[in-house]
Amino acid sequence: MATASELRPRRAGLDALGAAAWTSVAAALLLVFFVAREADVSMGGQLQRIFYFHVPSAWIAYLSFAIVFLASIAYLRTGAGRWDLLAHAAAEIGIVFTTLVLITGPIWARPVWGTWWQWDARLTSTLVLWLTYVGYLFLRSLASDEATVGRLAAVVGIVGFLDVPIVHFSVQWWRTLHPSGPTVANPTTGSGLGAPELTAFFASLLAFTLLFCWLLSLRLRIGRLAQRVELEEIERAAAETR
Amino acid sequence: MTEAGFLTKTMWLAAKDLRIEMRARDTLAPMLGFAATVALVLAFALPEASSANDAVVAYVQAGFMWVTVLFAGLIGFGRTFEVERAEGALDSLLLVPVDRSALFVSKALSNLAFIVVLETVLLPLTALLFAYDLGGSWGALVAVVALVDLGFVAVGTLYAALAAQTRSRELLLPLLALPALVPVFIAALELTADLLLGAGFDALPARGWFGILVAFDVVFVTAGAVLFDAVLD
Repeated sequence: MATASELRPRRAGLDALGAAAWTSVAAALLLVFFVAREADVSMGGQLQRIFYFHVPSAWIAYLSFAIVFLASIAYLRTGAGRWDLLAHAAAEIGIVFTTLVLITGPIWARPVWGTWWQWDARLTSTLVLWLTYVGYLFLRSLASDEATVGRLAAVVGIVGFLDVPIVHFSVQWWRTLHPSGPTVANPTTGSGLGAPELTAFFASLLAFTLLFCWLLSLRLRIGRLAQRVELEEIERAAAETR
Repeated sequence: MTEAGFLTKTMWLAAKDLRIEMRARDTLAPMLGFAATVALVLAFALPEASSANDAVVAYVQAGFMWVTVLFAGLIGFGRTFEVERAEGALDSLLLVPVDRSALFVSKALSNLAFIVVLETVLLPLTALLFAYDLGGSWGALVAVVALVDLGFVAVGTLYAALAAQTRSRELLLPLLALPALVPVFIAALELTADLLLGAGFDALPARGWFGILVAFDVVFVTAGAVLFDAVLD
């Protein structure tokens, strides 16, 4: 249930989590652009810095979907609405980060590989991941019955996540058997990662994690408020009929 | 009925589905027709045997075969739940005193029967249309098909029951099932292509994919049986 403090108009500005998130983003940006050294031309030179956003986005996407998985199980076991809300929120945010992976990848790839897209193992499994959770969101919006949405979505949240390692491994193996195109350069493999680069990377990862937590907290708040509004409307309607 | 064991109830339910289908004949026959038309359309995309090398042609042929089975199969799975839903029989079915996982197994079995009949017609048909030569490897192909079907039917049955409770169910089922079935599809493709290229069962270079198929089948048959309860509450 939403508490009174959540319903009071907030003072403008960020809470502690938001402040921490954006501070760490600023710090990470500084490290990524001024401390990490430029990579080799074969890796894209300055463009290789996109990897400091691309890889953390992928890790956060996987984190989100792991949360969807656990929250879905919790929802099926307890029936408590907050788990359903958590699963829904994490799925939405996970899709945002997965989309970022699918956008930053091709931006780097076009100049370096000469092509926007390639069916390499990583891109392909990320696309499958994206489609899996897009399906999850479509299911949520297309369910005929409010009462069943949570249950059905939870099933997809569980099955989808169980499939992630199998898909990842299959696609990778398929690609090793049938190599294609100029996949030699990859922004994440041994591109002279020294201490400055690793620092920048972990700073970026921290920033993304805090951003994720902040976005999740915002989304959960919105969800709780929506539930509260709905409850009040029902109560009002019931009161009117008396 | 309540005293009957899990297996008996499951078989009885599956037999019921098959009996309905044999009387109505409105799923299997159109499914075969649809599969044939898909094969037709794909034929125009087949590379010339002379210009492409054997490996390419083998993969494309294997691809055509499995794409056809996949699409026709998904439509068929959607239909088996449509039958229940249309008659309002889904609610009656839930009143039967049977474990939900038995319901899953029975639905999966009847879906499996449909797919097997489909493949029994489709595989020789595509072999004819696309002129591929399996030599003595038909037995190996049957083994591949059996494992692929298990995974396909497990995911398809679970998601079909799920999609039946939504709007746009004909779109949602493929949208949900196809990404989930990627490992099965790749494995099917690899194994079939190798067989088409003349590998015998023992010398199957792609036989590692059997491992993926078995892992997939175990995970998703179990998940389906456990989660069907949540889908049909």
